[in-house]
Amino acid sequence: MDDRNTLLKEIGEVSFFLDDLRLYLDTHPLEEKAMDLYQQHHQKRMELLKSYADKFEPLTCHCIDLASNNSPDSDTRYAGRKHWTWSDGPIPWDTAANACHTAGILKGGA
Amino acid sequence: MWSYEKRLQFPVHITKTCPKTASLIISQFGGPDGELAASMRYLSQRYTMPCKEVSGLLTDIGTEELAHLEMICAIIYQLTKNMKVEEAKACGFDAYYVDHTSALWPTAAAGVPFNACEFQSKGDAITDLMEDLAAEQKARTTYDNLIRIIDDGEVRAPLKFLRAREIVHFQRFGEAMEKIKEKLDEKNFYYFNMEFDKQFVKG
Ligand SMILES: [Fe+2]
Repeated sequence: MDDRNTLLKEIGEVSFFLDDLRLYLDTHPLEEKAMDLYQQHHQKRMELLKSYADKFEPLTCHCIDLASNNSPDSDTRYAGRKHWTWSDGPIPWDTAANACHTAGILKGGA
Repeated sequence: MWSYEKRLQFPVHITKTCPKTASLIISQFGGPDGELAASMRYLSQRYTMPCKEVSGLLTDIGTEELAHLEMICAIIYQLTKNMKVEEAKACGFDAYYVDHTSALWPTAAAGVPFNACEFQSKGDAITDLMEDLAAEQKARTTYDNLIRIIDDGEVRAPLKFLRAREIVHFQRFGEAMEKIKEKLDEKNFYYFNMEFDKQFVKG
């Protein structure tokens, strides 16, 4: 798996962990352990999103940074040049955007 | 206010075209217990929910259902984007093809178009949460049925993920129900509408 796919897989995993924990905390607002885990994983997710945006393209509008998201690895015809990066990268519902995760997750899921 | 994230909650990677499978799974887009109905049901109910934590939970689950809607649409899209007319004809997908080509349009598997009656926003907290608990289980049953019918591992993987989320949502709605009950006089849980008859809600 290349760097892009490894990072995407990690982002998917940590984000899902947070999605699940968020609902848990909605009904258990005083649970210390869950809050600690949320804090740690949230931090991790922010770092991963930032490194993915710097290297490839922004996945959220908060990661759009026109000064730093213009690496030569960006999936765009303007790679390496300053440009509007929000439309870079594969379309989320296409197989190309999801190929990354399949090896690891599909084996367990199917 | 929402903001978009350019990735699916769980990956959908389907390499084999199959309009037949798409015609069954489309029920989880526009059917009575589908993801569109789920999302809109929770996001409509939350405004008058008399307990702030429960409104918050409805927002978060309603938001996650939007991500599920996107996954279901990705599954249908990938199953049909390369279909030939003969394939559509052979499996009975031709009627849908005539009206929508291979675009996404919310309908139940049996052909009934999406109906806002599925929202079930009654304006009574207990009633609405009961509805939500049932809705999660109905969606789980639909996923069970789909997983029994469908053999393709690439399609089954995201369906199994979605099925598991229905169980988690059921659990969380059960906890929300307990929270709502704490705010009521235990003698009147089901006699009054706490959303409207506010005199029965504990201070
Ligand atoms: Fe759900």
